[in-house]
Amino acid sequence: MRIVLSMMTGMRSSSLATAAVVALVLAACGSDDTAEPAAESPFVVASTSIWADITRNVACGGLAEVDTIVPLGGDPHSFEPSLQDRETMEGADLIVANGLFLEEGLADTIDAVAGRGVPVVYAADAVDVLTGEEGHDDEHEGDGEHSDEEHSDDEHEGDEEHADDEHSDGDDHDHEGGDPHVWFDPNRVIQALPTIADGLADVGVDADALDTCVADYTDRLTQLDSTIDDTVSALPVEQRLLVTNHDSLGYFADRYDFEVVGTVIPSSSSLAEANPADLEALADTIERTGVPAIFTETQHSSADAEALADRVGATIVELRTGTLDEPGTPGGDYIGWLDGTATTVVEALAG
Amino acid sequence: MQFLTDPWDWWLRPFLDNEFMRDALVAGILTVITTSLVGTWVVLRGLSFLGDALAHGVLPGIAIAFIIGVDTSIGALVAAGVMVGGISLIRRHSPLPDDTSIGVLFVGFLALAVVIMSSQQASYTGDLNRFLFGSITGLDSSDLLRQAIAAAIAFVGVTVFYRAFVVMTFDVTLARMLGLRPGLAQAVLLALLAVSIVASFESVGNLLVFAFLIAPPAAATLLAKRVPVIMALSVLLGIVATYVGILLSYHHGSAAGATMALCSVMLFFLVLAVTSIRRRPRRRAANGITEPDQALEVQSAQRP
Repeated sequence: MRIVLSMMTGMRSSSLATAAVVALVLAACGSDDTAEPAAESPFVVASTSIWADITRNVACGGLAEVDTIVPLGGDPHSFEPSLQDRETMEGADLIVANGLFLEEGLADTIDAVAGRGVPVVYAADAVDVLTGEEGHDDEHEGDGEHSDEEHSDDEHEGDEEHADDEHSDGDDHDHEGGDPHVWFDPNRVIQALPTIADGLADVGVDADALDTCVADYTDRLTQLDSTIDDTVSALPVEQRLLVTNHDSLGYFADRYDFEVVGTVIPSSSSLAEANPADLEALADTIERTGVPAIFTETQHSSADAEALADRVGATIVELRTGTLDEPGTPGGDYIGWLDGTATTVVEALAG
Repeated sequence: MQFLTDPWDWWLRPFLDNEFMRDALVAGILTVITTSLVGTWVVLRGLSFLGDALAHGVLPGIAIAFIIGVDTSIGALVAAGVMVGGISLIRRHSPLPDDTSIGVLFVGFLALAVVIMSSQQASYTGDLNRFLFGSITGLDSSDLLRQAIAAAIAFVGVTVFYRAFVVMTFDVTLARMLGLRPGLAQAVLLALLAVSIVASFESVGNLLVFAFLIAPPAAATLLAKRVPVIMALSVLLGIVATYVGILLSYHHGSAAGATMALCSVMLFFLVLAVTSIRRRPRRRAANGITEPDQALEVQSAQRP
């Protein structure tokens, strides 16, 4: 990643004069597509509101202007971009995306824009990725989670290896499995901060200023982590059992010693369905363990989860998993949002 | 209202300024050429349901290709082939009407896709959504090449088999007597249909491409009676829909592929409204007896 970014900036600075000439020629041809003055704060486009907020904090004090593609409340999986979004991305100096196929509807567009020379930072490339099963503990029987696949442990550890490839084909980031919901663990977000900062530095943001921002935000995220730790510690370990609608809380479980005892819908695909045998087993597990709540996402259908909740007498608790709340509300920024989500989870499980 | 007050900036400037807009337009036009040439026969021969079934029927092929890691186009073409083969198998071995055999395989293939995707537990290989809805905002040159090849295949296929298609649309027995091999022509038409669906993966998606397979040719049959004219009009209408759809998505930020599909369907209704208004006085003149519309006659023509 880093290598590609620096290659790109190298290319950029050396051809800046050429770019200016081209811009002039274009302007003369009746096009108003003038190049942005490089001295101004760069324009960064983040795929989701969560990464936009994190990027804003890495570029604190307005070091960069940050815009979001997937609207608040939108599902990053199924969002389909418009040609206006394409123009926004094309005009960006840097794109910050999650990667790991979170942005399914956007992936082709990001690849195409990357192919046109806009650098892209995939935040998930910088973190320790869970590959499907690790987020869940092993000893739950018949709960709808049978791993029939071999997962190599940490295939993204050496993310630098990806760097020599062209970004345009994008296949590096897409196909290999891995839970994309990395922002549910603030420590993993901390892991991503330097990568985002590098990306910003490469497009002209002052590196020292970025270092200060990263240090500051790291402190705040560490603080957030211990706040959540405190919140969670109120909950006895044997009550830290999660039943979710689809696999989205794996990192949260991994960090705060929860056990995902089951998911209603077995895969992240919208074409996947729950099967009765697995639902039956999950109902047994819920009854046996006494899990009081099932967590669903605002953006996914939860009919199966609701039926299950009715049956076992659990409550449905809706979480916003892929997007922040409206600005100005407590969940309007990443820290407030994750803090609030953790509190909701703990309160629901405390009964 | 900017499209009226400032037509230059609304209608042209986006294409002059942005390469991705030109790419989207080229991909759209190539899609429209393919789908109009093939879709005209789909509409005339009443094969819409088969087209819809194929658009969904390729899903298990894509899912399997995705899982075993081969090119998804190949998986889709194989699935389409299996589906078409299955339909003709049922036709040969049962007296059931075509739409029944199509329906059985349609739901069977869709269910198979869901079963396959649901068995991929806790893996994050992504969704099949991207194939259903495509990504005209993220085209690369290989996508354009793929569309161009599909358009060329459609053009050659429709030209070579033109006589066979025309005759078998009206009379299969006659086609056989003339040595036009209606069975082969039917297979070719279905193959062309599969190609046009699969080729549109990356642009409008194999579900939304259906709007272009049906709406512009259907609108064109309301305006013309000769097949080559229907095809030409269909291409023209399809290009108008694509052009407007791309601009709407650009100016108003709506999802690109779906906006184009919506425009093509809206254009159909516009043509329908205009033609039915124009036709009404003629009907009165003919003392309430309408001239039988040739297009309709063709649509209800006997199928093999």
